[in-house]
Amino acid sequence: MLSVEKIKSSIKALNAEYAKIKELPPEERAAFGQEMNARRAELNRQLQEATDAAEDAEVAPIDKTAPSAPNQAIPRFNLGSKHPLMAELNKVLSIYSHMGFDIMEARQLDNEYNMFDTLNFPKGHPARDGYDTFRTSENFIPPAHTSTMQNRALRRYRERLENGGQIAVVIPGRVFRNEDADATHEHTFYQCEGVFVSKDATMGQMLGVLKNLFETYYGQKLNTKTQPGYFPFTEPSLEFLIEKPKSLGGKGDGWLEMMGCGMIHPNVLKNAGINPDEYKGFAWGGGIDRLVMLKYGLTDIRYFESGSLKFLEEF
Amino acid sequence: MKISLNEIKKLVQVPKDIDDKELIRLIGARLVEVEEVDDWSPKWAFINIVRVESCEPIPDTHLHLCMVDGGPQQGGLVQVVCGAPNVHAGMLAVWIAPGAIIPATYGNENIKIDKRKLRGYESSGMLAAADELGLGEDHGGIIEINPEMEIVDEGKIRKIRPGDSFADAFDLWDVILDIENKSLTHRPDCFGLVGFAREVAGILGVKFDEQSAIDYILTSPEHNARGLKSSPSNKEQAVANHLLADATDNAQGPKNSLSNKEISPRETTTSAGLSARRSAPKVRPDVVVSNGREISRSENPLALSVEIEDVEICPRYSAAVVDFTDAPRSEYFTRDDIFLIKAGMRPISPIVDMTNRIMLMTGQPLHAFDYDKFVAVGGSDAPKIVIRTAKAGEKLELLDGKEIECDENDILITSNNIPVALAGAMGGKNTDIDEKTNRIILESATFSLYHLRKTQMKHGIFSEAITRFTKGQPAGQTLGVLEAAVYSLGVEPQEVIDCYPSPAEPTQIEVSCSDINALLGTDYSKDLIIKTLENVGLVVEQASQAGSRAHEQAVASHLLADYAQVTTEHKRRTPATAGGADACPQEMASQLATLNVIVPYWRTDLHIKEDIIEEVGRLLGFDNIPIDYPIRPFIGATEDPMLALKNRIRDILSDRLNAHEVLTYSFVSKALQEKAGEDSKDSYEIVNSISPELQCFRQSITPSLLEKVYENQKAGYKDFALYEINQVSKKSYGLTNEEVPVMKTNLALVVTGDYYHAKAYFSELFNQLGISIDIVSNEESQPVELAPSMLKKFKLQGPVSYFEFALDDIVDVSLEHAAKNLRFSRFPSVSRDVTFKVKESTQYADVYQPLDQALAKTGLIYKLEPVSIYEPKENLEKTKNLSFHITLCSEDKTLNGSEISDIMDKVTNKTCQAAGGELI
Repeated sequence: MLSVEKIKSSIKALNAEYAKIKELPPEERAAFGQEMNARRAELNRQLQEATDAAEDAEVAPIDKTAPSAPNQAIPRFNLGSKHPLMAELNKVLSIYSHMGFDIMEARQLDNEYNMFDTLNFPKGHPARDGYDTFRTSENFIPPAHTSTMQNRALRRYRERLENGGQIAVVIPGRVFRNEDADATHEHTFYQCEGVFVSKDATMGQMLGVLKNLFETYYGQKLNTKTQPGYFPFTEPSLEFLIEKPKSLGGKGDGWLEMMGCGMIHPNVLKNAGINPDEYKGFAWGGGIDRLVMLKYGLTDIRYFESGSLKFLEEF
Repeated sequence: MKISLNEIKKLVQVPKDIDDKELIRLIGARLVEVEEVDDWSPKWAFINIVRVESCEPIPDTHLHLCMVDGGPQQGGLVQVVCGAPNVHAGMLAVWIAPGAIIPATYGNENIKIDKRKLRGYESSGMLAAADELGLGEDHGGIIEINPEMEIVDEGKIRKIRPGDSFADAFDLWDVILDIENKSLTHRPDCFGLVGFAREVAGILGVKFDEQSAIDYILTSPEHNARGLKSSPSNKEQAVANHLLADATDNAQGPKNSLSNKEISPRETTTSAGLSARRSAPKVRPDVVVSNGREISRSENPLALSVEIEDVEICPRYSAAVVDFTDAPRSEYFTRDDIFLIKAGMRPISPIVDMTNRIMLMTGQPLHAFDYDKFVAVGGSDAPKIVIRTAKAGEKLELLDGKEIECDENDILITSNNIPVALAGAMGGKNTDIDEKTNRIILESATFSLYHLRKTQMKHGIFSEAITRFTKGQPAGQTLGVLEAAVYSLGVEPQEVIDCYPSPAEPTQIEVSCSDINALLGTDYSKDLIIKTLENVGLVVEQASQAGSRAHEQAVASHLLADYAQVTTEHKRRTPATAGGADACPQEMASQLATLNVIVPYWRTDLHIKEDIIEEVGRLLGFDNIPIDYPIRPFIGATEDPMLALKNRIRDILSDRLNAHEVLTYSFVSKALQEKAGEDSKDSYEIVNSISPELQCFRQSITPSLLEKVYENQKAGYKDFALYEINQVSKKSYGLTNEEVPVMKTNLALVVTGDYYHAKAYFSELFNQLGISIDIVSNEESQPVELAPSMLKKFKLQGPVSYFEFALDDIVDVSLEHAAKNLRFSRFPSVSRDVTFKVKESTQYADVYQPLDQALAKTGLIYKLEPVSIYEPKENLEKTKNLSFHITLCSEDKTLNGSEISDIMDKVTNKTCQAAGGELI
């Protein structure tokens, strides 16, 4: 690039040359003037460029690998965080929402009636033991699964069936099991329940909804499979598994147990005042903690309720 | 529960194209979760039978120097040093050759055996004890094998000899499945190998051979290995009659003995087509039932009598008297031992081992009493068995020497009312079998699983037997299993009694193929459905051939009438029933025809139509059901207002105000509540809490957050804010109309800063939400700075402040779609800073409010922001300066200098008048 001085002297020279215009015949003056003006404009542009460059060159070179200039404060963001369980739960809920599911939250103290009776657990049945429930002195139960809300959900939306519609609702909630906490077990964790009822619900539809849920969540096609399960409130009952997704480092070898599911037991529909001869439904439920642990490669479930900033700052 | 695949294969012919891996996959997909697959087959390389030819003690040690014959392949004797107490010349033992991995360490440490020197003597490999082979815990001595033991070699039976493969001889090329018990809670039948195998047959699509299952039960593994049967065929038939008296008999013909008190020999036909003479002469017919009690009238001095106090606690009790001398376990290791070890059990003595083996095969637990002790304890002439619930405080010393105190839930077996066993759980010390026993009472009964469950928990007994009982073993099998047990001891019973006061009627379920296909979303044919159900022993009746055809015709013509309508509808909704566009009406009719499914006694889990639908779906593979989706109208899902509010708060607090969201337990300690000044008595208390730390359902969230502040401060964090949104409750909130506690959803925020920090979060939150802060005006919802005493109690570095309030109070006004009235102007804004000098005692609001009101009155768009509060250090005048930044803007024009001055004068004058201060 030309130096500022050089350009300035060129401009001077040009000005001197311009004076010649008077010596030219009048018919050539216009063309000459235009040419001179164009050259001057170009020189002025160069001058501006050279001046800017000279000015910018005075700034000290920047060490782009450093977090700040010498003697300057390092720029910091004081970031807050959302709890990963809640963030992930919202992601799941948003998928359900887009599918058209209503959302209804579970309560954290419930009774025997909702925890077991409405769900077709025979009184005193060993299946009641499988849930390791806590109880209060008044015999209230901090629910051991979100299914405790099924009867309420069915009742709340029953009207839709009567109006020719369907029930499609998901129920997230905090649930409790009386077991000692270790790296993979917590007495407090989160689940999300789903309930769908229509005149012609089938198990094929249930498998479709669940497969699609996980495919949307993981953003890829997935292989899925089932295992027979046993829940008093569904018949047939299944465990739903997905092949470990690529995004979780899956190589087509491992299976992940994601949720329990099944066709809603006729007694459960009956208990909610829905005629099981007329309506069929399916229901499912799975843990949220597991989704988060898989996503972030967490090996200890106890971090979730630790309240440790060291943990939370990572999200 | 552990299941040996080899045992299953003895009961089911697995097709050649299905290898173990596929078989296990199918079991996992169609029956039960397989928790672990333990493949034993790689463990047995270079582990053979040897004969100890000589055995000399090594001086000053417990060791012996042995020369062993490892068979022709070793080409001579091999020297092995052995430390076991039972090693002796002439014995057959198991030799782990150099180069082999000790089976017990296989898959873990993989310890390889080598030639090595022990006390200066070279030892090639080792002679193995059972535990070293991974076969149980026994380390009392090395395994000794009966030299008379027979094995099958290329189809011929011969005696075992050195060089034989240990695994060949003892059926160890096996795969052991560890089954998740919980998922079989409803399937008592699957807790026996026969029941499990029946399911495997169903899964493979083959009919289970019930008759060969009887052979299997009656043949000990020892005999089975030699292709021998233990008992004569007439005995087999007797057992078959009792075990296989299937649903068809009960439903169609006159009742057989299973449901008949008047037991008499008669012809009966089983589903397997077996025509057998009921030969149950040992079951004494001369019993009567009165009021559910069965009383013996026999004059036989050995005669048993059984009295059941209440059929609810014991639906059926069968028992036999057998002359049999129990002996300690023989020194030889047998294939019967292996059978138990594969199931995770320990060989003990012939009688106990037999009862355990029969239990593992059938699912029915058995118990043996010493006959003489039983009679002596009861003080009666003949054994008088009385089954009753315990009296509170009644004591019984159990087999394991522990004395238990019973409650009214426990069921007791008594001898003439003196307790001799805790039913279903464990026998009593007073009637246990010992080496002097020469006559036993063998019990095969069923008890109320509900009672046994409580008994199990109360007394902490988790045996294989009670695990099975608590799944509800069916009453239908007790007598047949009892007979199988007696016969497999190789003796005749002296006496058999069967008390079954209210025999169960077989369950019958009506279902149509279209019911099945409609719920599953499949199009299985009628033939496939019937075959699938019959493979696992269900009996399927169709309406009589002629009647059925007429019915189908009728349905068909009805369907033809509105064929178009039906097919269009069915094609989309239930492809199953329609079978496609060209579905023929006859086919549809056959789909609609009713099937009557008769449930055999061992399927206690099948009651309703849906149970049968599950059987079909499961056995044919749920994974074969075609994927489909529900069809939904385009109606937007409604938003849950509380959930929406919580998410907006999260966005504000975490993303804009930089607080950290935490989750803490809903259960807290009484100590914590006390520290926080809460009344624990108002808390719902968990009666079975894990620890005192988790005893009360929390009334508020802040105390839990303060604990987390402590932990984070301890970890070195200084300036931070934590918040949590969660449910709380207390008794004083009362109950809802559903009679459950009223829950509130609280937001609590704790910040390491003084009162004004909490206040800033509080007011900015409301500002961002666009809700008036006045909605939450109650005292307990306002921001608070922790008093020094509280800081001390929670061990916090102050200042720390917080607020907590119920979102229920604002959820109704928080709706985002509520109208807002934002004002903007295209004209420039001007700002002025003003400072008022007021008395030190003047409240901030005394200045702020009149100023704000005066600004509002101007009608301009304005913003009033606090700038500072200044108090001079030496405050002699007792005054303070409050500074504000005011921004003004007109919607109509650009305000000029004099207009602004006028407005400011007016506003500040009004403020000064109201607050009693002066403008400076």
